[in-house]
Amino acid sequence: MIGLVVFSILSVLIRDLLKAAISLAVASIFLAIIFFRMNAAYAGVFEVSVVAGLITVLFITAIALTRSDEQVRESKYHLFIFPLFFVALIIIDILVMKNLLGRIPAITSPETGTFGEVLWKERSFDLIGQIGVIFAGVLAVLALFRPRSKSPQGDKHE
Amino acid sequence: MNNFWILNMGAVALLIGIGIYCLLTMKNMVKLLIGIEIIAKGITLALVATGLAKNNLLLAQSLVISVIVVDVAVIATALAIIININRHTKSLDVRKLTKLKG
Amino acid sequence: MIFLFIIIPLLLASLMPLVGKISKRFLPDLLANATMLFLLVFSVIYAKPLIAKGGVLQQVFWFGAPLNIRLLVDGFSLFMLFTISLVSLAVTLYSIDYMEHYGAKANYYALLLLMIAGMNGLVLATDLFNIYLFLEVAAVASYALVAFGLGQDELEASFKYLMLSAVASAFILLSIAIIFGLTGGVGFGAVAAGLKMLNVKYVVGFCSALFVMGFGLKAAIVPFHSWLPDAHPSAPAPISAMLSGVLIKVSGVYAMMRIFLNVFGLTPPLTTVLSVLGIVSIFVGALAAIGQNDIKRMLAYSSISQIGYVVLGFAIGTPLGILGGLFHLFNHAIFKSLLFLNAGAVEQSTGTRSLDKMGGLAKRMPLTAATSVVASLSIAGVPPLNGFWSKLLIIMALVQAKMYVLAFLAVLGSVITLWYYLVLQRNAFFGKLNETWKAVREAPFWMSASTVMLALLCIVTGLLFPLIIKSWLQPAADILSGGVGVALNFLGF
Repeated sequence: MIGLVVFSILSVLIRDLLKAAISLAVASIFLAIIFFRMNAAYAGVFEVSVVAGLITVLFITAIALTRSDEQVRESKYHLFIFPLFFVALIIIDILVMKNLLGRIPAITSPETGTFGEVLWKERSFDLIGQIGVIFAGVLAVLALFRPRSKSPQGDKHE
Repeated sequence: MNNFWILNMGAVALLIGIGIYCLLTMKNMVKLLIGIEIIAKGITLALVATGLAKNNLLLAQSLVISVIVVDVAVIATALAIIININRHTKSLDVRKLTKLKG
Repeated sequence: MIFLFIIIPLLLASLMPLVGKISKRFLPDLLANATMLFLLVFSVIYAKPLIAKGGVLQQVFWFGAPLNIRLLVDGFSLFMLFTISLVSLAVTLYSIDYMEHYGAKANYYALLLLMIAGMNGLVLATDLFNIYLFLEVAAVASYALVAFGLGQDELEASFKYLMLSAVASAFILLSIAIIFGLTGGVGFGAVAAGLKMLNVKYVVGFCSALFVMGFGLKAAIVPFHSWLPDAHPSAPAPISAMLSGVLIKVSGVYAMMRIFLNVFGLTPPLTTVLSVLGIVSIFVGALAAIGQNDIKRMLAYSSISQIGYVVLGFAIGTPLGILGGLFHLFNHAIFKSLLFLNAGAVEQSTGTRSLDKMGGLAKRMPLTAATSVVASLSIAGVPPLNGFWSKLLIIMALVQAKMYVLAFLAVLGSVITLWYYLVLQRNAFFGKLNETWKAVREAPFWMSASTVMLALLCIVTGLLFPLIIKSWLQPAADILSGGVGVALNFLGF
């Protein structure tokens, strides 16, 4: 868990985009390890293959396809402000969580005891939603990358 | 709820905080997407941790899988938009996007 | 077979790129419009008798074997389906002519159909997580559609919209995760039952706050409205109409109200917060609209203002308030999409969106001007058009609930609305004909047909409003007023 947080911070603070994307992938791997230890094997597998794999590939493709004429200058004060912010965040976090410890009651829910495959029958509506989202993503990328016929569209807007 | 859930939720809050910090302060468009990714990680951790505490891991995992799929679609679309913006402005700086005002 | 509402747009959307290869224009147009017409008629004829006894959970069958999907068909969801189909039909008719100069029509229709499928799925969901999932389907489609023209303005607007919307979705998802932790389930019935047994007011309050922030951004309520004035003007006109006319209502108002009224139960703090947000939206939207030069930006701020009225109506919680909110939701869908389509027609003919440069267009574009006048009078609340009745209902509900200050402010907001719409009409259509526009022509056939249809609907709804209320709105209002009991009764599975 510490690894996860550390690498996420790194991916935010690192200036070079490529290294930031890679540290995001490493953070994903840590998260997958946490999932495996919680006995959530399916989520762990999905996390590694999709987030640490596919999304990182997408990021690297995008970084490769974009040229930046000048390096985007982030302010130097990030290195000072962020630790303050982070420590404040941790303190507030601990206080709030300690407060909540007693308050949240536990409801035990019935043990389902079914396999992942059978579970898909219960959440089949989600499957349709997922298909829809995948279509939406694919069509969006297709629409945004279509060959542009030179139309005088650009000058119409003010 | 047991302590483990609280600990995990604390980590979730940290992750979301880091992500929001990234969104608020970073000026590079791709960095903003990294920020959204970090928030998404926090949410998936929250889902799995909650599933663990409720002993209902299978439901939690199916939810997590759907969330990851949605995340991929959003990131793909966002990257497509960023690449197109880059064709126009030749830079990845969010501060350059000031054409719309008011 | 209410499932058709989701499956048909989805299948058609997936086939549309292939169809586009065969026939660039004719076949996609025909298919999309035929589908919308079918869904509209279907929702009226078939589905109406289903809800006669309250609500129903429809089991979905796939060639005889039951899939394990149950869809929620009750007054509220049916009402939304009807509204969505109506506006979608108008938009697809309009797109036949308008999207000519954007190119890639098949792709456009595919994305539009996906957005509609997503919205339909959201409306028919029985599950908190399904709401989130279909919300994202419609949202991803809308990101691409806003950026469809690939000009820099559109891309920039789409990017800002995407960023803000992704954060809002994250908040919604976090809230769902916490509720899952509290009650152990995600379905409406399970959550309602679970929350009744617990006594965790603070955590539920926190989740409600997250929902208000998340869905409030989707519905463009102040202070989460900043994406709307940028996204709506830059998008192609039919997409602006879809976004402003249905998407912010379905993904924002419908989801919020379904969860708050049927699953959580409307508590006094919630009423206060939502009423305050509603009133602030009314004023910020109206005041910001006054100084605008860009016609579509003015309409976008007006949307923020009118959604404030809808949220205010729902927030009151009394049956009359809910009725007013629902009626205003329907009315706004009609006249706001009509206004956006008209603005698009003006933009296409004159090439500008700036009110300074327009003038006296009524002489050259009589149909557009006439329908625009009808829409402006409706939205400003002039009797006997439909806007008047819905605003009257909301104000009456406010008075009935003894919120006199809010009632006065709502009336004031309505006066301001009237003012800036008159300014809009005068600057764009009446007055002296600007010399530059001597040669503009009226909008092409399908665009005019669609706008005339919507304008007629405004007039008819205004004149026949008791009938409309009794047959369409009352069942929906009953479901919402039923409160948490509805979720417990027939969703407890």
